[in-house]
Amino acid sequence: MATRTANMSKESCSEEKGLNLLHQLEDIFENDPLIDEMGYIHPSQFSLLNDESGIPGDSPEEVLHPSAERTASSVESLLDASNQENLYFWNRDHKLGISTQILLQLYRSAKQSFMSAFKQYKASNIQSDKVVDSSYAFPSCDHLESILMRHSRSLLLLSCDFITAWNCRKYVLSKKNQPSVFMDELHLSALVLSYAPKSEQAWSHRRWVIKSISANCSNFNEILEKESELVEKIAERSKMNYRAWNHRCWLVSYMKTEQVLHELKRARNWAAQHIADNSCFHYRRRLLLKILEDSSCRRCVSSGYNFDMEQLWKDELDWNRTLVNRFVGREALWLHRRFLSSCWINHFLTESSNTSNASKETASKYHEFGEFLENELCLAKSCSTILDNDFEDLQSQAKHSACYILWLRTQVPKPLENELLEKLRGVDLLNLLNKSCPERSSLFNDIMK
Amino acid sequence: MGELVTEKHVRYILAAEKRKDDFESVVMEHLRMNGVYWGLTTLDLLGKLDTVDVNEFVSWVMSCQHESGGFSGNIGHDPHILYTLSAVQVLALFNKLDIIDVDKVTKYIVSLQNEDGSFSGDIWGEVDTRFSYIAISCLSILHCLDKINVEKAVKYILSCKNMDGGFGCTPGGESHAGQIFCCVGALAITGSLDLVDKDLLGWWLCERQVKSGGLNGRPEKLPDVCYSWWVLSSLIMIDRVHWINKEKLIKFILNCQVVLAELLSCDFESDTENGGISDRPDDAVDIFHTYFGVAGLSLLEYPGVKPIDPAYALPVDVVDRIFFK
Repeated sequence: MATRTANMSKESCSEEKGLNLLHQLEDIFENDPLIDEMGYIHPSQFSLLNDESGIPGDSPEEVLHPSAERTASSVESLLDASNQENLYFWNRDHKLGISTQILLQLYRSAKQSFMSAFKQYKASNIQSDKVVDSSYAFPSCDHLESILMRHSRSLLLLSCDFITAWNCRKYVLSKKNQPSVFMDELHLSALVLSYAPKSEQAWSHRRWVIKSISANCSNFNEILEKESELVEKIAERSKMNYRAWNHRCWLVSYMKTEQVLHELKRARNWAAQHIADNSCFHYRRRLLLKILEDSSCRRCVSSGYNFDMEQLWKDELDWNRTLVNRFVGREALWLHRRFLSSCWINHFLTESSNTSNASKETASKYHEFGEFLENELCLAKSCSTILDNDFEDLQSQAKHSACYILWLRTQVPKPLENELLEKLRGVDLLNLLNKSCPERSSLFNDIMK
Repeated sequence: MGELVTEKHVRYILAAEKRKDDFESVVMEHLRMNGVYWGLTTLDLLGKLDTVDVNEFVSWVMSCQHESGGFSGNIGHDPHILYTLSAVQVLALFNKLDIIDVDKVTKYIVSLQNEDGSFSGDIWGEVDTRFSYIAISCLSILHCLDKINVEKAVKYILSCKNMDGGFGCTPGGESHAGQIFCCVGALAITGSLDLVDKDLLGWWLCERQVKSGGLNGRPEKLPDVCYSWWVLSSLIMIDRVHWINKEKLIKFILNCQVVLAELLSCDFESDTENGGISDRPDDAVDIFHTYFGVAGLSLLEYPGVKPIDPAYALPVDVVDRIFFK
């Protein structure tokens, strides 16, 4: 170790400390590559954590208030690794905690090291590109690459949306072919998401990885399933996380019908336990629409996978009805019903009316519409009684059910309009709407014109 | 809480701009270009753009431009379409659009359009309707909209329309007020608003107003001041703003101001804790929400705030200068 002078400037001392912290952080990863969860911890919580795990060593007192013999110039002794680890980093069971006290210093040091490593890496790449004899190995390139990957990871643990750090990893990876390194990226992204579940760049990076491996990946379906599970896990503690659910919706375009049906089934219980989570119901809509799309494409071709789509839709409608009755006044449930009934009317009930099939089938479809409408209006009416001083939930229920009737009115195609109006004859819809939801009277008046 | 405390907000913005010694501020440095746009536009709306050093900002903005023509969020960072629009908007505020190499920026944006009409954010290929809006808005400001395939761009945006009338970030994505603003704004700029079901979308948007008068961004979510911009501007563009209660919204936004913050630290000299607007009453303030709160008040024609263009998100006099010089 170099000797220190007593006149060390404050700046370089701080810089040195920052680098020291960075090296410690990176050493922790060397020793525990399986870290899968991290967070920032207030310093006061460290002693608690250390006490719990029974760490031997200096008492907190000694570390924070060094004895008189330790002079300002013998900084290294204070930066003794084991003491430091207890004070600033916490690592057990593949979990990592970083003290909020050192975040700024650590960030500055990580950023500086990263930027410098990236510069050097890019420069050496330009050099190696110029070499005609491609069999000449550039060992320094590999070394620079490993440093770059290390520093970019550290930086991303402090600044989850630092685009340039994510990009440099894509830059390095785009020159490689091994699927295993791409898996490492998913691991890092999941680690970042553990402390920043809304990180746009972390989610985006996952999509880049998946796109990159989709062409030649033997267990792609398995990967899709794991991605879906990850979203569900994150959605558990990060409610209605738009980016997380958007990612899950994005995966659907890669899924075959069988997998889509499996997802629909599997995600049902979760949805029933999170009935206020509009995102999870939107995800179901996404799955249902995919099934519709796929089936319409294969109309002339016999599909290898048989299932009754009408029954599937009916089941979803029935399940939704149960939830609407059980969980009073929940907007997400009613919005889901709007979608289901709109599709039911416009896809299942009316498409045969355009074909030249036997009129018998057409008649039965119209009858089904009447029955369907009857049931829906019955449901809505049963939810629409309002008394004064009613609970907010009941008022909500009345509001949503009245709006639902209005929705049906707007979704019904022209040929079936009369039937609807006939059924609505006993209902003064405008009055019902204005009573249950006076603040929206302007909307109602305009829509019903 | 009956009025807009303009002076405090101005002080807050000017002080926040200079903060470089706390983790929360420093860790945002990769998106400084956005922050500068939010801060400066707010100052301009409050009639205080002259309190900043034009040349300092302009030269900093230009030093963020890359070979490719795109701008980065800060010096030394990678370029991205997000920061490219903010850079152009900032220069527009200062009436310095003439220093831009228009061909260079246009080339960058054109290179990001994909086969299906969508736009990527940068060379790494992430697609989002926000990027469609950015491309269209930016090129429109530079009078180069014809350099992209507008028809395909519009077609892609429409493919992101959901059954509830709203728009998501990619086809099949959940309707979100922010994404809706981007799609509606892009359609407005390209003259394609006739392709939107205004009643259906207006209905979805006006359902964002909750009991407190604030607006949320999606069903079942809490109100947030930033939606005062995205929902409101969308409603204005499709001519359905009369479906929400404006007075209640104004009251909500004003309640999100921090007028007298509790002094949690011992830093009695700093009054950076005063001023600024937070996402909802009693939360911490930031530049992002300060901008959207003021922009929302502008759309609501609050006295003392300059009018803002709902599609370009720039003061109307700046937009007039761009198109009617």
